Amino acid sequence: MKKKYAFLVDSDKCIGCFTCAMACRNYYHQEKGVVWRHVYPLNEEIYPHRERAFFSLACNHCENPACLNVCPVEAYTKREDGVVVHHQEKCIGCGNCIRSCPYGAPVYNPVEKRAEKCSFCHERLDAGLLPACVQSCPTGALKLVDLATMEPGNHVQFPPGFPKNDKVNSSTRFIMPKVPTMVRR
Amino acid sequence: MTGQATREEDCMSQKTRALSRRQFLKGISMAGAASLLPLRLLMPYSAEAATAFREQDFQIFRNACPRNCYDTCSIKTYVKDGVVQFIEGAQESTFTQGGLCVKGYAYPRRVYSPDRIKYPMVQDGRRSGNWRRVTWDEAMDRIAGKILEIKEKDGSLLGLGLTKYSGNFGITNYGVEGMMSSLGYTTRFVGTPCWPAGIDAQNYDLGDMWCNDPEDMVKSRYVIIWGANPAWCSVHSMKYVNEAKRRGAKVVVIDPIFTQTAAKGDVYWQPEASSDGALALGMARHILDLGLVDSDFVNNHAKGFAEFAAYLRENVTVEWASGLSGIPAEQIREVAEEFANADPATIWIGYGMQRHTNGGASVRAIDALVAMTGNVGKEGGGARYGHLRTWGFNYHALLQKQPEGSLGFVGAAGPKGEFDFTKGEAASFTDRTVNINKTAQAILDAKDPALKMLWVSCKNPFAQDFDRPKLERAFDTLEMVVSVEQFFTETVNNSDIVLPVTTLFEEWTVNASYWHYWVGINEQAIKPMYETKSNIEIAALLSKKMNQLAPGSCTFPQDIDTREWLEKEFNQGIYDYLGIKHWTDLKNGPVKAKLASSASWSDKKFGTPSGQYEFHSDLCQQNGHDALPRYKEGRKSFDEFRLLTPHTKFGLHSQFVNFDWMQEFNKEPFLYMHPDDARDKKIADLDMVRVFNKVGELKIKVKLTSNVAKKSLVIYEAWFGQGNDFNVQNLVDDESADMGAYKTGAPGVAIHGQFANVERV
Repeated sequence: MKKKYAFLVDSDKCIGCFTCAMACRNYYHQEKGVVWRHVYPLNEEIYPHRERAFFSLACNHCENPACLNVCPVEAYTKREDGVVVHHQEKCIGCGNCIRSCPYGAPVYNPVEKRAEKCSFCHERLDAGLLPACVQSCPTGALKLVDLATMEPGNHVQFPPGFPKNDKVNSSTRFIMPKVPTMVRR
Repeated sequence: MTGQATREEDCMSQKTRALSRRQFLKGISMAGAASLLPLRLLMPYSAEAATAFREQDFQIFRNACPRNCYDTCSIKTYVKDGVVQFIEGAQESTFTQGGLCVKGYAYPRRVYSPDRIKYPMVQDGRRSGNWRRVTWDEAMDRIAGKILEIKEKDGSLLGLGLTKYSGNFGITNYGVEGMMSSLGYTTRFVGTPCWPAGIDAQNYDLGDMWCNDPEDMVKSRYVIIWGANPAWCSVHSMKYVNEAKRRGAKVVVIDPIFTQTAAKGDVYWQPEASSDGALALGMARHILDLGLVDSDFVNNHAKGFAEFAAYLRENVTVEWASGLSGIPAEQIREVAEEFANADPATIWIGYGMQRHTNGGASVRAIDALVAMTGNVGKEGGGARYGHLRTWGFNYHALLQKQPEGSLGFVGAAGPKGEFDFTKGEAASFTDRTVNINKTAQAILDAKDPALKMLWVSCKNPFAQDFDRPKLERAFDTLEMVVSVEQFFTETVNNSDIVLPVTTLFEEWTVNASYWHYWVGINEQAIKPMYETKSNIEIAALLSKKMNQLAPGSCTFPQDIDTREWLEKEFNQGIYDYLGIKHWTDLKNGPVKAKLASSASWSDKKFGTPSGQYEFHSDLCQQNGHDALPRYKEGRKSFDEFRLLTPHTKFGLHSQFVNFDWMQEFNKEPFLYMHPDDARDKKIADLDMVRVFNKVGELKIKVKLTSNVAKKSLVIYEAWFGQGNDFNVQNLVDDESADMGAYKTGAPGVAIHGQFANVERV
């Protein structure tokens, strides 16, 4: 069976430590202001305590990627294992992908004057290694999963706080956080 | 946990090489660039190599994070063309488990940051910013000249002070203290702002500070995390807490702030800060009433339990504890009962909860709670605080001899100066010791001789020492300040000379943790950048200059090799404890101590004078405290709000937050306060406010959140880099904690016993 690689974001295990985001920067040394992976605090309507629950998000490596569809120079390819790759050497910096992605994954690199985004560390995948962010996660909150074989569980595709877009069919899956019993004075 | 990791690896190994190759070829043909590629890339079976990551393209080095942190991560450093490309956690360590933290992963930027101090520099006028580059020789000439001038005028070097603490825990960095000794008897800032009250408490109760292996927390059936925030300050420990929880343990987090750790527990208690002792004693009373005391432990392995029980019966009730802490009596009873019935149960005692005027007493009360339920000496149990068992190095760099004829203090009795000395008794001289937690006051108070010169290394007093306004006044009385640094901190700004020091990638050393039991070597991975030198190389250079100007004035070796000096730190004891033959074995990865049990005190032979666990400690009483872990009140409020200034997840004290890499995720500091208080003060979210008290003030943006208790203000300690004067020490005074003097030389400091007010600006 063909693989369908995806990120599993387990917000119940996530401690919002930003390790994944910095591990990405450590590996790719992005230009100032260029961020492939962000850690977003959940809105208080979704989790009642400010900055205490998070989604770690990068490219969602969609089934039907908007970036790939709107790119005029075929700078995007989708690998058979699901990874959406941006080939920066072909990019002309038109910004179509940046405007079209419902998740803001492609970002503009002002030095290269081209777009770029999370590559799923496909060069690491091809060497049998985990993506830098997944390897770095100290609590196992960010995982590499294969949607083709993943067993059903408590994970969802469109949790509250994550834009629902059936057309692109994003691959990232989520587990929601829990709230402890609160005893305050 | 392990199971999941294995499944992931299986999943990875299923990848077919053919697929990748096809994918790659498709990619290059689409690029229309296939003809431009070197021919070898199109050869069968080699295409994958062109895209796949190849470890053999790198030189790999072992490093160890030397920061003052529970986790002390073992690092693998990937170097290409003499440049650090990226780093990762060592896979060999089950603690680090292949990952670092947000701070650790920022290290590649630290080495190559454009803000790094590159050369020795001299500032013409403190705080003027008029820095100019000088040669190492010129810098050393000025420094050595000043040292000799002090010696000439005073007859001793007590006018030369050293303040150094935890900025770099690499063992060879104790060569800074060695350098001072090699010059003579000097003034030393001793003690620690970090954890001393708890260290003393554990020494009175147990005879040492010695925690279980944190990895055995998975065996706990009940975990109380009390005043610690590992989700921010020990990220690698969280997997053990989570695993204990997965296996059915209940996790209770007690903290005045609803921390990230609290958000991951089952139950969160938000007590009044500094009421921890009362809470623990209330729980102890309830356990006593229910008859859930471990009678074997208290009768056969402990001293003074009957007396402690009598104290509880006469002076403590659950309602009393509830009244002081604000935690409902029913909750105290429930958790106490569950804790006593769980086997094993453990408490992680954080350093935060002992940073109070009653901190040592509170730790003693919590120790007692763990002990009376028979959880001391048990795997998965324990009153976990810290340990130094893996630190048995030779301290070769530290132990240097004073030059012959050096004059200093007589004994440790106090400042007697050179005037009290009888010539010919040099062997009985000592350094002059002053309290590191009262740096400003100590500088102002030092007399006969006054402090004239200060050497600062592995420390940033303007970021970590208390009462910043007073510290500036104190520094202004000094004739020369030399800082050994990597960045232009506020302390450097208040210095005359700055010497650029190496990062972990640029020197050899070895690092141990005060929490887990892994030890890792730190190899030199790259040549030192610019003109940077390690602390011991700087000491050697100073020695050379001293001896040029005044032969025999410094005993420090003048020509050293950091690798050789690392080797000199090892001994057979360390080898045996780690189960290695030679230190070079650590080049294959970090090694964990061979522990007879994951539990400390598993043989129940305690280090106390009685050899038992001491509910009643005569030693504690002799040192001016209660013999029993009696309740001691916290500091009285002196302003409208309690002020807490704990650690941020984005930094460690003044390190890391200043990097542009970090500021991608953490751009500015905030005050956190409760929305109800904000309403009363007519403050809205993200308003600019002024926080002020008797020490000083700071202006800051506010975020409103009920994570913070009412009548509390929370600001995370950090240094945001040059040009940003945010500094929580403008609001924190130098009030002492109750304990710390016994084991660390000076009492701790009540960092969380602080108060302030706030208004909109």
